[in-house]
Amino acid sequence: MTTQALVQVLASGLLMGLIYALIAVGLSLIFGLMDVVNFAHGEFLMLAMYATFGLVLVTQLDPVVLMPLVAALLFVLGAAAYLGVVRFAMRAKANQGMVQIFATFGLAILLQGAAQYLFTPDYRNVQNTWLGGRTLDLGGIFLPWPQIFGAFVSLAAFGGLHLLMSRTDFGRALEATREDQGAVALVGIDRNRVFALGWGLGAALVGLAGAVLAIFYYIHPQVGASFALIAYVTVALGGFGSVGGALVAGIIVGLVEAVTAVILPPALKSIGVYALYLAVVFARPQGLFGRL
Amino acid sequence: MLLEVRGLSTAYQGLLAIQGVSIEVDTGEIVVVAGANGAGKSTLLKSISGMERPRSGEVVFDGARIDGLPGHAITARGIAYVPENKRLFPRLSVSDNLRLGSYLHRKEADREAPLERVFTLFPRLKERLPQRAGTLSGGEQQMLAIGRALMTRPRLLMLDEPSLGLAPLIVAEVMRTVARLRDEGVAILLVEQNARAALQIADHGYVLDGGSVVLQGDSRTLQGDARVVETYLGTLAVDDAPPSRAASGR
Repeated sequence: MTTQALVQVLASGLLMGLIYALIAVGLSLIFGLMDVVNFAHGEFLMLAMYATFGLVLVTQLDPVVLMPLVAALLFVLGAAAYLGVVRFAMRAKANQGMVQIFATFGLAILLQGAAQYLFTPDYRNVQNTWLGGRTLDLGGIFLPWPQIFGAFVSLAAFGGLHLLMSRTDFGRALEATREDQGAVALVGIDRNRVFALGWGLGAALVGLAGAVLAIFYYIHPQVGASFALIAYVTVALGGFGSVGGALVAGIIVGLVEAVTAVILPPALKSIGVYALYLAVVFARPQGLFGRL
Repeated sequence: MLLEVRGLSTAYQGLLAIQGVSIEVDTGEIVVVAGANGAGKSTLLKSISGMERPRSGEVVFDGARIDGLPGHAITARGIAYVPENKRLFPRLSVSDNLRLGSYLHRKEADREAPLERVFTLFPRLKERLPQRAGTLSGGEQQMLAIGRALMTRPRLLMLDEPSLGLAPLIVAEVMRTVARLRDEGVAILLVEQNARAALQIADHGYVLDGGSVVLQGDSRTLQGDARVVETYLGTLAVDDAPPSRAASGR
């Protein structure tokens, strides 16, 4: 393999990895906040992609412009999922963990079924976008503009999230709720409100990812599943609940996937990622940056 | 009357931990609730603060019923509660813990006065600001817990066993601080197993036994009451009594 080909593979992997990190971070954030795994995370992504598709049709604006609106819609969806479903699942008197898993899993099936019914199983794609189909030529290394844009959105989102968590009162309230959700009432924080906002924030982040993916990926009711699988691997690899871990793990997953795709037949490109996941689970079950 | 608890009963794991407890606390007062381990003292504070939901009875704060309200709403009304295990946020810094205390009063200007007050009371916290709360000594953690509670700008401060596990010198310091807060206009409801130190600074006291109030009165009367001395201040208390506070109490 020539140096140029190697750089090409690594650069593509890095860009996709940053997008995977953006897909995964909301999942990790919600888990860290309240120890609930959102099994409807992939469906949130799917709905974000449909939201982008629909908004483009209606407004005739570019997905790049519509991205904040998609994130806002997903924020509402996330907060509603907490207030309408997860909040009640958390009140279970027995087997709380199981009840939470089935509640979000049921939500996933409901959202997928609703999408199938309302949007039909047809594959859609957003056409005539500013970035779609364009590539950047860096002296023989070709990088697709949608992925470059997605990578920057991801970095900006992680930067913004870091500032939010470390510099604002809301971020401090999130951290405190992560630490001891029973104690925040002592300082007058309503943990239900923090949870609802946390779910909103987590969903808004996957909303950004969905708006990016809609530029270069087909949209259909099952599209969330494959990305959700990668997101679970990313979160487990980075450490459940760790925001920084999601970033590093996303990049690793992207690189491993890109390299595997070159070594093995393309149909087997996911094998490297899952092999890595297994290795981490055996060697370091808490993930790279997780606390157990 | 700032706080009136009337006939409060709370069940804990199916058993009544307190039954028909009535107490009163007024502004400018330190009220002590004494009693043996398991007498229901902590349950009483948890029931007032909203951490536990009372089964029957009333809690009236500043003329309004607050029983049944969620804990965060009770904090917002002006009742700060420092539980026995303090419930600090151990991985967050001292500074963040204090800032979280003022979550209800988020304007920077509203934060300065309470923060100054905390630093005046506990200068040591000022030196520890960037340190993680979990790495503080027991005494410093108690100071931070009281400091965080004060940041909510309470009119009533409820403390559960603030002297537990602290060296006598620190206990005396905590008690001095509590007396000072009372003089600054914060009503204090103090729960203590070893009531001697607490009664010395208190105005009024209640003794709980088996979940009910068995004795109550002015703190001097209680300190002179043979039953109290025998049962709750007895021989054990002599050993770990803090250095006496000159001219207080008797």
